[in-house]
Amino acid sequence: MNALITWLDSRTGFKAILHEALYERVCGGARWRYVWGSTLVFTFVLQMITGFMLWSAYSPSTRTAWESVYYIQHEMYLGDIIRGLHHYAAQAMVVLMAIHLVQVIIDGAYKAPREMNFWLGLVLMMIVLGLSLTGYLLPWDQKGYYATQVTTNIMSVTPGVGPEVQVLAQGGTDYGHLTLTRFFAMHAGILPTLLVGFLALHIYVFRRHGLTVHNVNHAPETTFWPDQVLKDAIACLAVLAVVLLLAIFRGAEMSAPADPAVKFDAARPEWYFLFLFQFLRFHAVESLGLTFGAIVVPGIIMGIISLMPITANVLGKFGHNFNRAFIWLLALGIAGLTGLAFYNDANDKGHQAALTEARRDGERAIELASGPDKIPVEGAVTLLRNDPFTQGPRLFEKNCSGCHRYNGHNGRGTLVTDAGKVITTEPLVVSPPVIAPPTAADLGSFGNRDWMTAIVMDYSNHFAWMKNAEWFKAAQEKSAAGESVDYINPGSSEMADWTSGNLDSLKSPENADNVKALVEFLASEAGHSGTAYDSALVEKGRDLAINGSWAGALMDTSCAGCHDTIGQDFPTQPDDSSAGSYPTLAKYGSAAWLKDFIRHPGAARHYGLKNQMVVYSPQKLSGTDLDLLVRWMTHDYPESTVHEYENQLETLKAALAASAGEAKDAAETPSDAGSGNAAATKPE
Amino acid sequence: MPSNPAEPTPAANPADKPRRRMLLEVITAFISFVIVAVPSTLGGLFFLDPILRKRKAGASGATEGEILKKDEAGFIRLDVSRDAVPEDGTPLSVTVRDDIIDAWNLFRDVPVGSVWLRRVGDGPPLAFSSVCPHLGCSVDYHRAENEFFCPCHTSSFDLDGKKTNKIPPRGMDSLEVSTRTNGKEDPNGLEIWVKYQNFQKATSEKIVT
Repeated sequence: MNALITWLDSRTGFKAILHEALYERVCGGARWRYVWGSTLVFTFVLQMITGFMLWSAYSPSTRTAWESVYYIQHEMYLGDIIRGLHHYAAQAMVVLMAIHLVQVIIDGAYKAPREMNFWLGLVLMMIVLGLSLTGYLLPWDQKGYYATQVTTNIMSVTPGVGPEVQVLAQGGTDYGHLTLTRFFAMHAGILPTLLVGFLALHIYVFRRHGLTVHNVNHAPETTFWPDQVLKDAIACLAVLAVVLLLAIFRGAEMSAPADPAVKFDAARPEWYFLFLFQFLRFHAVESLGLTFGAIVVPGIIMGIISLMPITANVLGKFGHNFNRAFIWLLALGIAGLTGLAFYNDANDKGHQAALTEARRDGERAIELASGPDKIPVEGAVTLLRNDPFTQGPRLFEKNCSGCHRYNGHNGRGTLVTDAGKVITTEPLVVSPPVIAPPTAADLGSFGNRDWMTAIVMDYSNHFAWMKNAEWFKAAQEKSAAGESVDYINPGSSEMADWTSGNLDSLKSPENADNVKALVEFLASEAGHSGTAYDSALVEKGRDLAINGSWAGALMDTSCAGCHDTIGQDFPTQPDDSSAGSYPTLAKYGSAAWLKDFIRHPGAARHYGLKNQMVVYSPQKLSGTDLDLLVRWMTHDYPESTVHEYENQLETLKAALAASAGEAKDAAETPSDAGSGNAAATKPE
Repeated sequence: MPSNPAEPTPAANPADKPRRRMLLEVITAFISFVIVAVPSTLGGLFFLDPILRKRKAGASGATEGEILKKDEAGFIRLDVSRDAVPEDGTPLSVTVRDDIIDAWNLFRDVPVGSVWLRRVGDGPPLAFSSVCPHLGCSVDYHRAENEFFCPCHTSSFDLDGKKTNKIPPRGMDSLEVSTRTNGKEDPNGLEIWVKYQNFQKATSEKIVT
């Protein structure tokens, strides 16, 4: 063994190198304050190891990037840990780098003769920030996509060369395959190579001048090995422990696949760039233009930092104190702005709702990708585009939530508000937005047993939201003035009179089973997916609906008496000539019925001339969208364990009651509208 | 590394507290080892994923309304009828289609390879994988010599799949065949179902991969 070592040493001289590397003098003893540089080197090594591993499974293209990252994270052995380590170590690196920089400045380690080393350090900092930036885009998820869009757009305002720089970075005028291949080449090839090169120079120059000793008399002089190495190793171990725990217990997030067609309101840069984001949002900064805030100011700050060795050289003690004050103020400013950004976001309801939706989309995308059909070749982005569970709420909000609500909210978990009214224009004063009352039925329970129960037992109340509508108020006024008006009146109509007139009998014990059977029959006619129906009960209900085999006072009534098509198939080619004067209940609430109703609510088979609903022609709502919306409302989609939006019907009622109380208009507001049953139940 | 003007001299005398220093060195070496070993091991295990991970069960056969093209035993229905295989025993190359799971994608009903079919008497046709058992090139049929021939390394086989020179380690890989009618076993059936498998190359034995 010894002979081998001697032979190797005679050929390489490695002993001298090792000796030089390990027995560097440490005046004033080993100290914890010297560990930061070593932790940075360690974190970089960690990034190399995990980075190479991720590289072995990552595939840079717009149709495979998210997909391969999904595969790493959710299918591959220890994939979540490796990606988590890489994700959190990247953040640790930025934090450690900031500490290192601040310490170098306050300890005066940037001063002569160490100027070159300081500048090399600044170059390394730029490279690390470049790595963060390029890495953020690679998963090609909504978060990374939109955050990076902002960055490349900022590049484009660089005076003179902006647009060219942007096109070069993106590999074209828009984001695409080449954006990913170029970012990946930068992230995994060019930047790490530069980093290794500059790091070698940085360490070489550092060794040339030795440590900047804080206090020579702190302890007796010692050597790098083992005293300082031990402290360094323990610090690195702590860093490793932190990122490993974060990787195990928090994991790296993955939002939905990037989709340029889907707005992403939750877009934010990675947290360590939030200060810049917050800075750019100030009106004073905004008014000076993007170039000023995003390029000029950071440029000046970097300039001042770069000039620090010269400042200290020329101005002596004052210069050093100026530098120290500057870096402290900068750190304070960054911390303050970051805190402010977090505070603002936490109190921004819109942003919180967007975050909730982003999380919902992300989880759903992963859920669909894990399904038996895997990810379509067209890319994971189509998983959500074709998913009723994802698109339904959006379509509902866009098309329906002007009048309807879904469990009290707009379909996407937010209460609908009217924009604040302009009180004065000079200066502009706007009243706070108020909760808007729905003017049509709440469709959260549409077509299920609760809905059918409400129609049979509680018709007036179930549709009472309509009384908020302008058309209803106008019709009532006309009617009060003695005009004859034909309109839907949930409070007084044949159907309303039937339920209220027969309520005692409906609620009597002799009809309890009958009501249950009728509801089962009606719900089975709607036939929403994911619900099992009791066939015996359904048959009994069918008999009741068509033949009216009730007990007691209801004996002579049947649904078919008015709704003569009940129990029949909903016609695919509706023939209105045979339609009676009552809305058809053929397959009422089913997908076929609902599609037809949305397209032709004013047809004779539906509301006829009484109709007030907007007609959704194919120009207004495409066939694809109609299909997605209807499939969502009839629960026809792969089952999901993703968190549903909370039922907010009670919140809505409370808010409306409160504002009604203020307006002393309580009589007009159906504060107890909707059936209790429907309100308390979430959709299946 | 260039020489350092400040020649390092171990200042602390190691002889002072040899035991303490020894302990310190061991601890330091150990922690240094741990911080590198942990990420390296995790990375190494991740890289071994293709060996370490148990694959999830593949996609379920036909979707609703489709004709079943693969049974549970792994037999795949070929796109040719038994009539189409030449009566005189001339081999016919037929493409085999199947679903492929490729990491995150599932490709439905795509070509996965081809087989040589040959009619011999009244029984079910013979089927050979067209993958050469030598090193995996494609075996061709030479009409002039009336033999199977691999152009890569000149392996050759007779029409029964037996090797006729020393290059291939074994004969062509025969595949299980069954003739069926509407998917049901039938000696006179016109449907040809083949159990399409891949085998290890360059071994004298036929080992399923």
